[in-house]
Amino acid sequence: MVTGGGRKRSVLFASIFGIVLIVVAVALNVSWIVVNWRTGLMLAFGVLMFAVLIAGLVLNTIFLLREIRRNEQHDAFINAVTHELKTPVASIRLYLQTLQERPVGPVKREEFYQIMLEDSERLQSTIDQILLAGKTAASGRVLNRTPVDVAEMADECVQLAVKRHHLPPGSIELVEKTAADDSFVVSGDLDELKAAVMNLVDNAVKYSGDRVQVKVEVSPASSKRVAIRVADEGVGISKNERKRIFRRFYRIPVPASRVKGTGLGLTIVRSVARRHGGRAYVESAGADCGSTFTLELPTASL
Amino acid sequence: MTRVLVVEDEDHLARGLRFNLEAEGYRVETADSGEAALSLLGPDGNFDLVLLDVMLPGKDGFEVVEEMRRKGLFSPVLMLTARGRAEDVLRGFEAGADDYLPKPFDLKILFARISGLLRRREWLRRADNGSAEPSILYYAFADKELDFDKQQLRRGEEVVSLTLMESNLLRYLISREGQAVSRNAMLENVWGVREDTDTRAIDNFVVRLRRYIEDDPAKPRHLLTVRGVGYRFVAEPDAGKQDST
Repeated sequence: MVTGGGRKRSVLFASIFGIVLIVVAVALNVSWIVVNWRTGLMLAFGVLMFAVLIAGLVLNTIFLLREIRRNEQHDAFINAVTHELKTPVASIRLYLQTLQERPVGPVKREEFYQIMLEDSERLQSTIDQILLAGKTAASGRVLNRTPVDVAEMADECVQLAVKRHHLPPGSIELVEKTAADDSFVVSGDLDELKAAVMNLVDNAVKYSGDRVQVKVEVSPASSKRVAIRVADEGVGISKNERKRIFRRFYRIPVPASRVKGTGLGLTIVRSVARRHGGRAYVESAGADCGSTFTLELPTASL
Repeated sequence: MTRVLVVEDEDHLARGLRFNLEAEGYRVETADSGEAALSLLGPDGNFDLVLLDVMLPGKDGFEVVEEMRRKGLFSPVLMLTARGRAEDVLRGFEAGADDYLPKPFDLKILFARISGLLRRREWLRRADNGSAEPSILYYAFADKELDFDKQQLRRGEEVVSLTLMESNLLRYLISREGQAVSRNAMLENVWGVREDTDTRAIDNFVVRLRRYIEDDPAKPRHLLTVRGVGYRFVAEPDAGKQDST
């Protein structure tokens, strides 16, 4: 970006300025102590004032740096969303104009219709994702509660993912571990829960590379809790990234990554889990060792 | 034959572009990453045009075009991207692109730009060769006027835009007015292919040209089929008839 260099320079200036101010304040404080060494009250008062000043400067600088980072992530998000929205539109438009302007044989025509349908689905899911991220971030409670059979829902998500990503049968395995009296019924918002599970399965497929081997497991986590585990054998997640990935807009900075997305998926998963009184977390042995995401939800008391 | 490299990681767009470019008679290769594009653009990757996406896995489009120019690869580059902000456009030109088109784009505009870039390349090439053959820029026959510079055909009030290949083929046939021209000669001189490619592509072009220049495309009077050979362009079919009687 042309303005990128200028922005980077001003960010650097702001951070250095903040740090310099802190150093100056500390130096003044030290000289104040040296000068007023013998005057008890003046010394105490001065030191206190300086302490307040320094704390303020430190807090301000930290706040500034944090805001800058968030702003950068937000820019990346806007770029990603622009791409995610414009690409399918560009594709649909290209095919429609092709059909309008050129003679297209019946087989190709059928193929073009299929491509346009897939593009419109992609558009739809990006829009849903953005709307859902807004909704789950806004209000605290789930309003639209109905009994949801988690095992059944997981099965639907798996089938949809296989279809959407054109996967060979068996690349996503669904396992249910039922004990006799266990109930996998959750009281919650079906759309939200489905979006959460779908995000986990989608991620597992997207970050698996060419060889997709995903396992979705529904099992009792503890008494009155059900766990949906989505395990892949893909790129894995390093230790310091494990917490950050749930943050809004956060995407692991891998320049060569083929995976595209908005950076909202896991934020949605975590918000949906919290809104339903559950939690979401990840385990991974590290880079290239695959990862396992777990969505834990309280079951409905029957 | 004009060779076009499409660098696009979105499979759907790459396929759609390939279909359209092939329908125009170009030979198309695709690459789905910056690295793949650069390896295709290696020493013998003599492409006449590169359509380049910006957001690519690995090296992005800006880096690809910069590296191309550094390596002395001067194929015209048309950047296609979802990022249409002024700074992105400027960055593209700065990196060495020849043209920049934001997505979503209009198919007609895309092809107008493509033929603009190819036309300029053709001029340069001709200037380099010391212009082997003076090319016709303007031609009129019956009630039609052809402007090869603008790639336009005027029929009375109506103006038809021709694609680069349509215009080149027509110009070639006109430059041999009255002579029978073989399909292979057309392939060699218009598309620049020597090997035996499918010559039926030419027939499709002729069908399209007839639609433009014939009053009744089913009964051509100007663009005639010469059985077993190819085609012949005749400017004044009636005059010819009078001579033979």
